[in-house]
Amino acid sequence: MTELEAGRAQTLVPARSGAALQRYRDVLIALIAFAVLASLPLFTGSKALLDFVIRCSAYGLFATSLNLLVGYTGLTSFGHGMFFGLGAYSFGLIMQKLGVPIPVAFVATLAITAVVAAIIGAICVRLKEIYFAFVTLAFQMLIHSTILSWASFTGGDQGLRGGIPRPVFLGIDLSDHVHLYVTSCALLILGLLAMHQIAQSPFGYTLRMIRDNAARASFLGIDVWRAKLTVFVLAALFASMGGMVMALFVSGAYPEFAYWTISGEGIFINMLGGVSTFLGPMVGTVLLLLLNDTVTRFTEYHGIVLGVVILFFALGLRKGLLDFVADWLAQRRDAGEGR
Amino acid sequence: MTKTRRPGISRRSTLALMGAGAMSVAAPWVARAQAKTIKIGMPTILSGRVAQLGTSSRNAVMLEVEKVNGAGGLAGRQIEMVIRDSKGQPQEAARVARELVNTDGCELLLDGEASSGSFAVHEVARDLGVLCIHTCSEASSLTADPKQRIPNAFRCVRQGIHDSIVGGSYAASIAKAKGLKKWATCSPDYAYGRDTTGEFTLYLKRFAPDIEIISESWPKLFQADYTEVVTKILQAKPQALYSCLWGGDLTSYIDQANIYAMFSQMEVFAVNMADYTALTVVKNLPKGIHSGNRYIKTFPTTPENAAWGDAYKAKYNEYPTNWSWQNATAVMFLAEAAKKANSADGKKIAEVLKGLTIKCPFGADGTVTMRGDDHTLVGYAIGWGTTIPQEPYVPEVKAGDWKTIFELEAEWKKSKGYT
Repeated sequence: MTELEAGRAQTLVPARSGAALQRYRDVLIALIAFAVLASLPLFTGSKALLDFVIRCSAYGLFATSLNLLVGYTGLTSFGHGMFFGLGAYSFGLIMQKLGVPIPVAFVATLAITAVVAAIIGAICVRLKEIYFAFVTLAFQMLIHSTILSWASFTGGDQGLRGGIPRPVFLGIDLSDHVHLYVTSCALLILGLLAMHQIAQSPFGYTLRMIRDNAARASFLGIDVWRAKLTVFVLAALFASMGGMVMALFVSGAYPEFAYWTISGEGIFINMLGGVSTFLGPMVGTVLLLLLNDTVTRFTEYHGIVLGVVILFFALGLRKGLLDFVADWLAQRRDAGEGR
Repeated sequence: MTKTRRPGISRRSTLALMGAGAMSVAAPWVARAQAKTIKIGMPTILSGRVAQLGTSSRNAVMLEVEKVNGAGGLAGRQIEMVIRDSKGQPQEAARVARELVNTDGCELLLDGEASSGSFAVHEVARDLGVLCIHTCSEASSLTADPKQRIPNAFRCVRQGIHDSIVGGSYAASIAKAKGLKKWATCSPDYAYGRDTTGEFTLYLKRFAPDIEIISESWPKLFQADYTEVVTKILQAKPQALYSCLWGGDLTSYIDQANIYAMFSQMEVFAVNMADYTALTVVKNLPKGIHSGNRYIKTFPTTPENAAWGDAYKAKYNEYPTNWSWQNATAVMFLAEAAKKANSADGKKIAEVLKGLTIKCPFGADGTVTMRGDDHTLVGYAIGWGTTIPQEPYVPEVKAGDWKTIFELEAEWKKSKGYT
């Protein structure tokens, strides 16, 4: 061992144990968050609140997975909603046509999503910026049109009708509102934990390097195409999970789930919450759904209100809410240290 | 003489006063409990491309609810409508419907959703067990398919299959009289357009077997430019054209086809023409377009229908739409069923609704029926006529025959495996 290597080994050991510590801390936070969410039905009988959290789970998984592409890799996908729709439809169709246990359908849906995402990703991730955005959008429209035209299989524009059967598994009955709620929370927390691990892993840092300077990453021996494809598929899997939660919530799947407006909402959420922090999209999800639910109670001109809000964020704050908070905290800390 | 009683308030009068006091305090509460309002929730489309239809649904519901409330309410309970926008998105429709029941305390639902949204609300009704009347979705499978059926959901809407049977038989009689053998079709490219056109041509050929479809066009829903479609049809030189384009699509199509003088070269059958939303928007409404009735105040030709159309126009300064009469009819059904059941309870109303016949301005014979076996509306006024460019737009409408509709509908259900 040369002196240099010895020195590097010494710095690596604490770094590794630091990473392990970070991981334990994440798991602990996840467990606490799950415990808090799961105990909510004990304190409140409000079904609307539980519905709200279920929808937050669906959109939160979707938006956070989009941030893996937009925020961490610099791939602005305009077609991420196709995996949300794909998840909802695959899960619904498998449950309706095959009648298998729910975990089997869940895993099968993830497998289908992985295959489709790998094929679409292989074509898209070679492209840059606006070309990537538009080709993902094109694939989304292709999937949406397929759902509409293949009416005998997908139910066309009327969607998957007749409800999604929910046989009991492991004592969990998803037709029970509280069971569905706790399951959605569990999926959300597990999904967020997994995505955080991805973001904090060496692979996650590779993605950031690709975002900042793809040529440099390439010169360092990183297979940029493979890394982009991997994150594209991973993000699709979590979006698909979000779609499954939504399918369970509405007990069906509808072509709107695969329409570009869902992708648009994902981007909107990321703009609201911010893309530079991991939890930004989650904050954005809660904000958007809260705004949507309260504004639509009072007026049908919700478009104007949401438009003004996004203008405020885009032109006023020039970043998402959590980005703003993070910057503000950093400034305060710097000021405190007298810098 | 000693007074045994001192002047003042006796025990008896004190008790009486206390009783009276208690009564006067309690009376409003008792009265209020009796007259407790009943909330009816309604998700519908109030923004986006079909907002006009959703708004016209809300208008019609409010018009009828005022009447019901004026007459004492639903089994003595005043109706309070809670109407929210779903943006035409099924996931929003499901959320709004759940919120209306779970948070706002609505005891009944009117579902003013079209297409996929109605199926989403249907699932909410299945889940929550609340009485739900669909008032806008024309998709036949919503009630015809036994897999969809639940005891607490009804549909108070015209149906695609009924329209196709009446349209097919009407068009066949014109085709025979005028010798129209070569037909073209032009309908929007989605399930409604494909299904309705398929069913129309099926019945057209059944009533007039020597007809031939020589050209089919499937423009996209909400397409802006119809030039290629119009020229394609003109080149095919059909003698007649069928279209189930609707709303803005139909009016832009007619405006653009007018440039090519299409309407003087063939007979046009546009099932969705006779709706004020289309009739009043087209720039130069050609004379002689054949259309099914959507809502027109001159059909059925009864004073009740004309009065209803005028009352709506007087209140909202525009004519009602097809969705309006359907929503109004749903409120009429609720009122009548609550009266019969002497209760505003959803389960009791649902029991009475099955097979209920009510007087209605939109009935073919002055009445409409909520058919018991598949919970769907029958007996409403349905017919075809031809347009003129000014009011009353469709002066004469030939009524469809419900006996034929029932026979062919039963056959159709069997062919679909529904019965």
